[in-house]
Amino acid sequence: MAFQMYMVAFEGAFSQGASRDVQHHIRKFNGVTLMVMKTGIIAAFDDSVAPFVQQHPSVKLVGGVTLNPKGFAAERLQRIFAENLAKQIEVKPQ
Amino acid sequence: MPNVGAELASIPFGKMIYDMASAIARSQVALDKASIQLVKVLASTTFDYVPDVVETLLPNPRQVKGANGAPLNDADGNPVMITGVLVQTDVGDSFPLTLLQAGVNPTFYAFTNSSIEVKMSITSTQESSNTFSVGVSVTASADFLFASGSVSSHVNFSSANKYSYSVTGSSSLSTVLNPVPPPKNMMPRFFLVNAIDPQKISVSQS
Repeated sequence: MAFQMYMVAFEGAFSQGASRDVQHHIRKFNGVTLMVMKTGIIAAFDDSVAPFVQQHPSVKLVGGVTLNPKGFAAERLQRIFAENLAKQIEVKPQ
Repeated sequence: MPNVGAELASIPFGKMIYDMASAIARSQVALDKASIQLVKVLASTTFDYVPDVVETLLPNPRQVKGANGAPLNDADGNPVMITGVLVQTDVGDSFPLTLLQAGVNPTFYAFTNSSIEVKMSITSTQESSNTFSVGVSVTASADFLFASGSVSSHVNFSSANKYSYSVTGSSSLSTVLNPVPPPKNMMPRFFLVNAIDPQKISVSQS
């Protein structure tokens, strides 16, 4: 299966606790958080994990997204994603 | 004898194709609805975008310090100076930008290849066995004035036929779901009006 980028929209009003909980939920399935906003987060995880992420009580919607290189802030977003991704990837010695 | 042609003709191909196409159509509608819902979410999700950060390098001359931190002078008594640099940072005012404007597009999906595979196995076996037996018995007796004899014979014939006929079948349906670019009618158009030069209006669409 493929690793894809998803928009995970929160259910109801923003809460720091719910946001963290959803991020931990995604991490549990080997997903990574790329960007956090008040209404949701952009994350990357395996296709097969999407239904499990959707089941979280604080999640309203999970939908695949792509980055349009012609977007107004595409380069900036790409850099933010890369920085956040680098913080979550563990490099293990062989 | 098994009639393979009749068995194949009995497979409801038309119904299978209709059911599959109908299921794909329903799934496609559900996927499109989810993607349109996502367009709304992306269009309403904003973040503070800082358009620019200006860093200005300014000269910052200062005298080099010598032993014990005392200002250093050359042999002629002139102060030893270095240019130095001061970085002045000016962060532009942030403004809210939606994820859609920023370049995050929803993924749309489309079913591309669909196939129906039907496997059928027809087995027919026939066993027949015949037994045939013939028996003859002869009895004869004779005495002084009278003699008699009898001959009897029997024929046994038995026939057994076993006939079995079985048809087993399996079918598999497969379809391929691919991500596709957003349909133009489902994506908003962006009008960029340059207030400095209002004549310049650019229109873009993902």
